[in-house]
Amino acid sequence: MSSFKVLVVDDERDFLESLVRRLQRRSVDAAGVTSGEAALEHLEREKADVVVLDVKMPGMNGIEALRQIKQCHPEVEVILLTGHASVESGVEGLALEAFDYLIKPVKLDELIERIMEAFDRRKVVGELTGSPPPDQS
Amino acid sequence: MTRPYANLSRRMTIVALLVALLPLNGLGLGLYYYYNYANTQAVKEELRIRALNRASAIELFLAERTALLEVLAHGARLTQLSNESELANLLSIMNRRSWSFVDLGIIDKDGRHRAYVGPYLLKEQKYLDAPWFQQAMQKGVYTSDVFLGYRQVPHFVIAVKHDNGSDSWVLRATIDSDVFNRLVRTAQVGKSGDAYILDRQGRLQTPSRLGGKVLDPAPVDMHSVAPGSSVVERTTADGRQVLTAFSWICGGKWLLVIDQDPKEILGPLNLARNVELAVLGLASLFIIMAVFILVRLFIRQLQTNDAERAAIDAQLAHSARLVSLGRMAAGVAHEINNPLAAMSELAGEVQDILVPSELAKLEEGEVVGENLERIQNQVERARGVTHRMLKFARRMEPHLEGIDINDVLRESYSFIEKEALFNNVKVQLDLSPDLPLIKSDRAQLQQVFLNLMDNALDAVGQGGRVRVMSRADGSWLTVKVSDSGPGVPADLAGRIFDPFFTTKDPGQGTGLGLSISHSITQRLGGSLELENHPGLGATFVVRLPNTPPDTP
Repeated sequence: MSSFKVLVVDDERDFLESLVRRLQRRSVDAAGVTSGEAALEHLEREKADVVVLDVKMPGMNGIEALRQIKQCHPEVEVILLTGHASVESGVEGLALEAFDYLIKPVKLDELIERIMEAFDRRKVVGELTGSPPPDQS
Repeated sequence: MTRPYANLSRRMTIVALLVALLPLNGLGLGLYYYYNYANTQAVKEELRIRALNRASAIELFLAERTALLEVLAHGARLTQLSNESELANLLSIMNRRSWSFVDLGIIDKDGRHRAYVGPYLLKEQKYLDAPWFQQAMQKGVYTSDVFLGYRQVPHFVIAVKHDNGSDSWVLRATIDSDVFNRLVRTAQVGKSGDAYILDRQGRLQTPSRLGGKVLDPAPVDMHSVAPGSSVVERTTADGRQVLTAFSWICGGKWLLVIDQDPKEILGPLNLARNVELAVLGLASLFIIMAVFILVRLFIRQLQTNDAERAAIDAQLAHSARLVSLGRMAAGVAHEINNPLAAMSELAGEVQDILVPSELAKLEEGEVVGENLERIQNQVERARGVTHRMLKFARRMEPHLEGIDINDVLRESYSFIEKEALFNNVKVQLDLSPDLPLIKSDRAQLQQVFLNLMDNALDAVGQGGRVRVMSRADGSWLTVKVSDSGPGVPADLAGRIFDPFFTTKDPGQGTGLGLSISHSITQRLGGSLELENHPGLGATFVVRLPNTPPDTP
């Protein structure tokens, strides 16, 4: 298993389950939940370094979830993943300090690459803010 | 010109012509008839006065001669006047001063012509039965009507009786008809005027220039002639319309008649009347021309305005269509991208499990591996399509650049300036001079401002006021468009940003303008709000983030 934890949030269950299993198969410590609320709950229980977040979901949408995640867990990096590419959500997401903004469908290798980059930044930010990632503790 | 314009043009033309021409022509025709009446009255009165004057002159002529004969008859003795050489001497003395006597005669009480001087052979003729002799013997003095007598020439005489009891006699003189006729004819006026004298039976006593010889009956109804003097309009025997003055003379014995062609004397007087008529005609012509030109100008202006209006509406509708098309494309892409992502992951997971060494164990492992690869290729292909759709949608998305909001406001105003002028709407641009450049989308903002100004113009109607204001206020730029119109009814204020909601008449608005403007401002990170004051006007407030443009 990887030295960092990934949480995937998407209401599309087929996509979510398959993606989580594929990440695990590639030795990424990944978990999946199907809503923004569940993601927040999950983060309360268990730490995550990178969250892959769908923008358009029933209930709490991705942007709102992003805002709350950044509020409660500012050290967590978030990659927005959506089928809809609108500049407004993109701009808003980046304004809320999302790490990146990807459009579905995205190739798994590409996604993992972005996750790694996000984690790299997480490490740098963590060193600066005094909140180190789990493997260094 | 299309049908509604042609109808409007026709109605305006008719109303303008009626309003302008009816009173003018009413006044003009009234004056025309007044002139006619006044002129005719003046001419009639003048004619009557002339008839009176001539009647006096004629009476005076006869009275003078009668008086002279009376002096002779009363002052002389019969023996003296019976001497024809004395009588001839007397006649020549009298005529030396143009007293116009043709002859003189003395008739004794038995009607015998005792003495005669003159051009005819009348001595010793008997006059006992002659009416003039009988009248003279009876009344003393008598002026006869015209008659033929023994000489068979029309003439009239003045007879004066020398009353000497049983030995009375009569002095008789014949008036020179040429002189008398000339005297009467002096009452004639113009080429077609006529003047003559009639006796009580309506026979001509002097020749009528146009009506006949002496003693012919004249076509005048003697019974209808008023006493004294009068003027009538009548038709002559040959069908001419004439004004005729009647004046009785010599105590009702004779009637002086003066005929006059009214056209001849009214001609100069009617000049003023005809000039008035010509001025009226010209003025009417000018008015008609002016009305046609003005109506045409107005209709042309209206067409231009309508065309500009239609162009703006079409532009707004076009933008609206593009925006909704973009949204639909983005929505479709999203709906397809999610299942694509799931398919890609599901197939990918199978590929993860069935690595080449596992596939080789299967009977048809090659086919399974190839199909999994093909599924991924098909996903990739569909992804190409949806991403192209998203790119198209993104073209409808804001194109951000550094812009001067005041500049955009002025440019938007230039589109509606003409319409405002035409509707007499005063537009006040109150633009803050120190507005920072911000990063926003020029074309879309212009669409918003144009839409708000256009709505404001519609709301205020004729003669209203519109105020456009721009201010910078910390992290926001504010643009306000206020109008002096009726405002938005309170119960509708909540719905004005809904798509397809409109308060305009059908066909006047799409109901998309405010809805589009609202979503544009939101997409640009700002807002569009209504500050409503029902009855006092509405103010639309656009707020835009004060984002400085990227420095290149």
